[in-house]
Amino acid sequence: MPANPDPAAARGTPPAERLLNLVIALVNTSAAMTKQQVRSGVNGYGDAPSTEAFERMFERDKDTLRALGIPIVTVDAGGHSDDVGYRIDNDAYALGPVDLTPAELGVVALAAQLWSDKTLRTDMSRAMTKLRAAGAGEAAGDAVAGLAPRVRAAGDAYVPLLEAVSERRDVSFRYRAASTGEVLTRHVEPWRIAARGSGWYLVGFDRGRGAPRVFRLSRIVGRVKVGTRPDAFDVPARVDVDAMLGERVGVRRVATLAVVPERAQALRARATAPEPAAGRGAEPVPAPRPDGREEVRVQFRSLSSFADEVAAYGPAVVVEEPADLRGEVVRRLVAAAGIDRAQAAHGTAGTPTQAGTPTREGSDG
Amino acid sequence: MAERADDRLVRLLGLVAFLDGAGPVRVEELAERFGVTPRQVREDVDALWVSGTPGYMPDDLIDFDAFSLDGGLVSITQTRGMTRPLRLGTREAVALVAALRAMHASPAVQADRRRAGVVASALDKLSAATGEAASAVDVELAGEGDPQVVAAVTEALSAGRRLHLRYVNAADVTSERDVDPARLVTQDGAMYLVAWCLRAGGRRTFRLDRVLAARVLDDAAADHGLAAEGADEDVWASVADARAPSATLVLASAARWVAEEVPAESVRDLPDGSVEVRLRVTNPAWLRRLLLANAPDVVSVSPPQVAEEVAALARDALAAYGRTANP
Repeated sequence: MPANPDPAAARGTPPAERLLNLVIALVNTSAAMTKQQVRSGVNGYGDAPSTEAFERMFERDKDTLRALGIPIVTVDAGGHSDDVGYRIDNDAYALGPVDLTPAELGVVALAAQLWSDKTLRTDMSRAMTKLRAAGAGEAAGDAVAGLAPRVRAAGDAYVPLLEAVSERRDVSFRYRAASTGEVLTRHVEPWRIAARGSGWYLVGFDRGRGAPRVFRLSRIVGRVKVGTRPDAFDVPARVDVDAMLGERVGVRRVATLAVVPERAQALRARATAPEPAAGRGAEPVPAPRPDGREEVRVQFRSLSSFADEVAAYGPAVVVEEPADLRGEVVRRLVAAAGIDRAQAAHGTAGTPTQAGTPTREGSDG
Repeated sequence: MAERADDRLVRLLGLVAFLDGAGPVRVEELAERFGVTPRQVREDVDALWVSGTPGYMPDDLIDFDAFSLDGGLVSITQTRGMTRPLRLGTREAVALVAALRAMHASPAVQADRRRAGVVASALDKLSAATGEAASAVDVELAGEGDPQVVAAVTEALSAGRRLHLRYVNAADVTSERDVDPARLVTQDGAMYLVAWCLRAGGRRTFRLDRVLAARVLDDAAADHGLAAEGADEDVWASVADARAPSATLVLASAARWVAEEVPAESVRDLPDGSVEVRLRVTNPAWLRRLLLANAPDVVSVSPPQVAEEVAALARDALAAYGRTANP
């Protein structure tokens, strides 16, 4: 890998050229090449000062090539380990024909910019080099002009977890529980990695809990250990990531809100008419109330996130119905009303927090 | 910093595969295609020229037309069988296909049928070529947006036209303005329009779910040089600014997500499982809203004035509940 000093580099052949010569040799060899033939015949390997140094260099180069999608196959010519030969199958590394139009290449180039992790960015620029070498025309960006999709960095856990998901190896890692802040080791059969909102998640089967669980990648503490055995478990035929993340399509409900005139325009923009809309494009007209506020009806699905949104408006928005939403908002406001006293007691004053108590979603209130 | 050997290898092999059958290609064109300098292309050609099969006699080596190269043209005459482009590695294929799937499902792409078609065909071709199921990674970009607003914004971007916006900011103040759109950024589950605001005379970022109405105008959008800011921009930059006043929050563990989703300057785990977050806040209204929404899990806030402002707002709100309470 790049961080390791390469002994041969100092002597002449740069590592990239040694790798290139190895690939050309192993593609063109009639049957296979033995290690000894590689050492004595392929440019760059003669630089190795000792057999051990050569072995290390060759093993590392094989790993590098495998990671690039150029697998070296082993050919067992005879009974002796000395007779083991190596070659590269042209068909195994070649990209199938991708006849991307300039507009499509533009789309792919934009997709390649989605990721913000350094590792993934390196992967993506390499992938683009490969696709450009496949002869695709000049990328044309006008089909996706002005779009800039981004996904927050997934962090160090992504690469080992992806390897584990792809090869169905089990993993273990130290994980900080959201409810208590406690860090415990978890053993998981990883099914999917998912990005939703600003978070990255691992979805899988938690062996310790004996049940499917969702883990937030940012709460993984330290390194992910990947099991040695591939195909160690079965992934269910259908994994509903959104259902597991709790964003299931719940019952849509309507809240009745009393809003100060001119305020909460972002909420009003989502308002529904009190009766089925008279015609297409008809703006719902807020109904005036005796207290000077206006009645606005808004649809919502998630009780807790809608309560967050409404509470954030403070006195500008009051919930009339339903009662459970009203209760959730008032709970937030009661805590907020005591927030200036909280620091004196540092957490002991104010309302007890409902840590770890999941909010009921989509209940009929 | 020296280039990684594996990155260079991919380009070296890519050059041979591309040049095979391409005829003479200008050095500058190769440089642009592979995203390197013309000088690097010449160094790559030099490296290829001395590479080949063991023996390394003239007939064993990759060869170029030297005469063409003097004239700035690269023309390959011997490829040593390295004509097949490299396939994508698992990680590359998974990440690319996941990104394309996410883009295809996003409102910004779905707003335009032609655009959705191009993304779908790119996704189909790439999935077929890589042969990856690629279901290991599942990415969803921004959620819902007002379809009319998304359609108007994407149309203005692709046609290069000015937009008229009705916008409500984090302080709940509504305004009307004309903007020259630069791009639509999807980040952290929301969409943001980066544009030049003609009223403010500067760059502004607008959260799309707070755009109440958008209308494409007949005027062409002027170029204010906003497109060149690069891929690493962060829309939070408009909220978090190193010169802005700082605030420190201690949050119960249940509100840990706040530390994970806001532009924190520093995050520290405390022994009791709570978490201390330091923020720079240019927009005090944004912080007040954050605290009102998450008050049950807020352990402490500094500076104290922020807490006092939030508490005063909450007491006003509770009074309003008293006034409007059902009998």
